[in-house]
Amino acid sequence: MSDRARAARIIAKRQVFEALISPGLYIALVVGLFLGYFLVSGFSRAVDSSGFNPQLHPLYDLIARALEGAFGKTFVDSLFAEGPLPFAFAVSFLPAFLYIAVSSVFKFGLEKNAGAVELVAYGPADGTSYLIASYVKDLFLVLLAIIVIVAFMVAAAAFYNYVAGPELFLTALVAFFLSLALFAYGVLASMLTGNASSSLALFVGIIAFFLVVLFGSFAIVGEYVRNLSTVVASAVQWISPFFYGNLSLKANAAGDSLGFFGGLALLVVLSGVILAASHFIIRARGVRA
Amino acid sequence: MIQARALVKRYGTFTAVDGIDLHIRPGEIYGFLGPNGAGKTSTILMLLGITRPTSGEVFLFGERYTPSRLDLRRRIGVVPEKHPRGVWPWMTAEEYLRFFAELFAIPRPQERIDSLLKKVDLHGFRNKRIRELSRGMLQKLSFTRAILHDPDVLLLDEPISGLDPLGIQQVRDLIVSENRDGRSIFISSHQLSEMERICHRVAIISKGKLMAEDTMENLVARLFREREIHVELEKVPHGLAALMKKLPSVLDCTVNANTLIVTVPRQGDFRRVISEFLIGQSQVPLRIQERMVSLEEAFVTITQENIGSLVSSGGGG
Repeated sequence: MSDRARAARIIAKRQVFEALISPGLYIALVVGLFLGYFLVSGFSRAVDSSGFNPQLHPLYDLIARALEGAFGKTFVDSLFAEGPLPFAFAVSFLPAFLYIAVSSVFKFGLEKNAGAVELVAYGPADGTSYLIASYVKDLFLVLLAIIVIVAFMVAAAAFYNYVAGPELFLTALVAFFLSLALFAYGVLASMLTGNASSSLALFVGIIAFFLVVLFGSFAIVGEYVRNLSTVVASAVQWISPFFYGNLSLKANAAGDSLGFFGGLALLVVLSGVILAASHFIIRARGVRA
Repeated sequence: MIQARALVKRYGTFTAVDGIDLHIRPGEIYGFLGPNGAGKTSTILMLLGITRPTSGEVFLFGERYTPSRLDLRRRIGVVPEKHPRGVWPWMTAEEYLRFFAELFAIPRPQERIDSLLKKVDLHGFRNKRIRELSRGMLQKLSFTRAILHDPDVLLLDEPISGLDPLGIQQVRDLIVSENRDGRSIFISSHQLSEMERICHRVAIISKGKLMAEDTMENLVARLFREREIHVELEKVPHGLAALMKKLPSVLDCTVNANTLIVTVPRQGDFRRVISEFLIGQSQVPLRIQERMVSLEEAFVTITQENIGSLVSSGGGG
């Protein structure tokens, strides 16, 4: 194993340990699981003889109204066509993902400013080792969160007599690969900025921009806005993780396995490209705060 | 061991380091001296590959060094100017060293950590958290981390800055002891009196330029072509200085209270001539002492102007 890889492994191990002994991840998971629990338990009361009827349950009514207002009824129907689990998973996953992403970007900025990256660079490591370590730590934590949430969903499904079908697992898979690319953007934001706050602001800005581009093209908005979003989307979608994630989900809905895994593979490629860019940036800018 | 050739670092239009050549030899303590803002830290960061030089080359252990040569970098131990207190403040001193021991893949790490902590007198504080350590303790911990992997060269950036006298003495003793163990040591500092005590060779940098690089002895010899001999008498009689000036080897002679200050050429021993002259004048010299030129004086002379000849004859050796 090269010095860089070994250093990255050791730094990642320490960072994972630090993340696991702090309460943040557990709090985010508990919040997510509570939300997931309400969604799963409430779903049975939002179903009648005609199928899913959100008006029967206040929580689903609220969610359906909000989503229908933005994206239309077809979107909502397709979202719950396979039962509550994929949506409940996504909602449960969101707090953990946000916690891991935000804390990672912020921590990287803080440690770089404090001189930690420079300190390990005095030894058999360099900025890239630190960058890889931070990324590997994020992936490990997100994988852990996904496993916990999926296990919870499977248990809840058994309890409420739902079928934990392949949709849940495929959604979890897309969530993992989407995180892969989004965390890479987190690393890039840390490389491009000088302090923790600006890293975080840039990261949030990037994510928000990609989300607006993704949803803008099919949200129920004025034609001009939708057309503008479509034009912007066609220009920047190639660097948006959500585009490839959406591609995978659409392919899955159409029963196209090749398209599904192709979308995931493209997320891996995108992550690689962003990490390579981060590597060159840290090499050029140096590790000094 | 470490060689820099025509090293240049520019930040925009500002040139921090302007074509520096350095050569640190095996087994020596090399002082890299300069006033604040002279370009010392910029040079060190380039030597370590932390920042890239605008131009020029660095050679470590005879091989051309690039930042990706982590194998070469691991043969250097670094003590930064200040240990960043914000880095892992919750770690204990021992945990901190264990982390670096793992990074360096040190065999039997606990044994090594224990022996080093005892050596630097920190063993009793091994369970203290970094945030609880004093400035001196942090510096010693930093020093311990730097030698943990038994590097060939130790690079210290202002190692005694901000330490109390006891801390200075302890760090100085550590430096000398590490050098006795065969380690080459590169020290960047502006604490001239300390450097004078321990360095075998010094380089003086000012405004990004290397002004001189030599042993203390040679540096002083090149800078000061004359020296002063102070002769203390019971009383200096009127006209004695004027008579002294007439001696062929005496360049100048002045009086300060009951001391004759005799200026003579750098080469040669003139104490006998001076003594014989004074006895001939019925004077009893109470003390004859040659005033040593301090590194501080050399530094001030070099870093001030009027050094053109020195730069052309001695710089960058």
